Amino acid sequence: MAGSPLEQFVIKPIVPLSVGGIDLSFTQSALWMAFAVIAATLVMTLGMRNRAMVPGRMQNVPEMLYEFVFGMARDNLGAETRKYFPFVFSIFMIVLMGNLLGMVPYSFTFTSHIIVTGALALLVFLTATAVGFIRHGLHFFSFFLPKGLPIALAPLVIIIEVVSYLSRPISLSVRLFANMLAGHTMLKVFAGFSVMLAGSAIGIAVGILPLIINVALIGLEIMIAFIQAYVFATLTCLYLKDAIELHH
Amino acid sequence: MQNTPEDLGRRIRDAQEKQARQEGQNPADGSSKENTASALRLATDLVAALFVGGFLGYGLDRWLGTKPWFMVVFLFLGFAAGFMSIYKSQTGAASGIGFKPTDKKD
Repeated sequence: MAGSPLEQFVIKPIVPLSVGGIDLSFTQSALWMAFAVIAATLVMTLGMRNRAMVPGRMQNVPEMLYEFVFGMARDNLGAETRKYFPFVFSIFMIVLMGNLLGMVPYSFTFTSHIIVTGALALLVFLTATAVGFIRHGLHFFSFFLPKGLPIALAPLVIIIEVVSYLSRPISLSVRLFANMLAGHTMLKVFAGFSVMLAGSAIGIAVGILPLIINVALIGLEIMIAFIQAYVFATLTCLYLKDAIELHH
Repeated sequence: MQNTPEDLGRRIRDAQEKQARQEGQNPADGSSKENTASALRLATDLVAALFVGGFLGYGLDRWLGTKPWFMVVFLFLGFAAGFMSIYKSQTGAASGIGFKPTDKKD
């Protein structure tokens, strides 16, 4: 029995390290983050090694990823796309690789931890806010006051807009974390059913059912891995767009 | 006769027309990914705004000692903020500012 379905999310240190009472251990989470960076780099560089005019299989992968994200970024950012694209694409790749590597058996899904998705979301949120202030100065605060609003409603609407703005990083991080956590827990729960049923002859016959469901769920999870990375990148673009095109 | 340039040109044109026709029949194809993505956004947007509203209210109450009034008010404001961000994301005002779809011309 593999124990609790939540056991897979426990952080285990690989190289214990403590500096001044702060735990800085190199954990399996950090290890898989490093793997994600290496995998993303390999996919991009090895695929583009030949720089063929007509792409082969390996070159198709980075080209499709690039064009997919670039098209989405251009829809939002327009002429400014090239300036912000490296940031958007890096975010997309690290989330995508984190989600996909998590699908490998015995691996660890670092995107299922809110501390990781929260840090990524805060990075996006603070970058977008900083871009807004750099480009518009204090004028950025007019973001919270819709144009043509009756002045009597202003106090109410400003508070609502501020709450809505502050909820962005939370919404962004919780969405990714909850999807990954729920998906991987569900896989373990169904796998657990099979193991529990395997005790008897009838159990083995019935235990095939959760296994079949799990096969379908893994397909679903791989789709979710892509869609969540896409959503994360799309919202990064939307927030940057808000900061860039401030309406006066 | 299969490989004359004229023949090749004709086959390319045919293929292009066929592809254009197929894409015309399925206009939803390109945007289905975006639709799925936007549907997945809605629930968390609402919950996150509610959470932020409640948290801000709780913080103000702690600070000003007015328990529980700010929390009550801010929960409602958070609810409103959640619905507003959903409304804006669906009406194409997107992320934009204000309630109206932003008119880019002015």
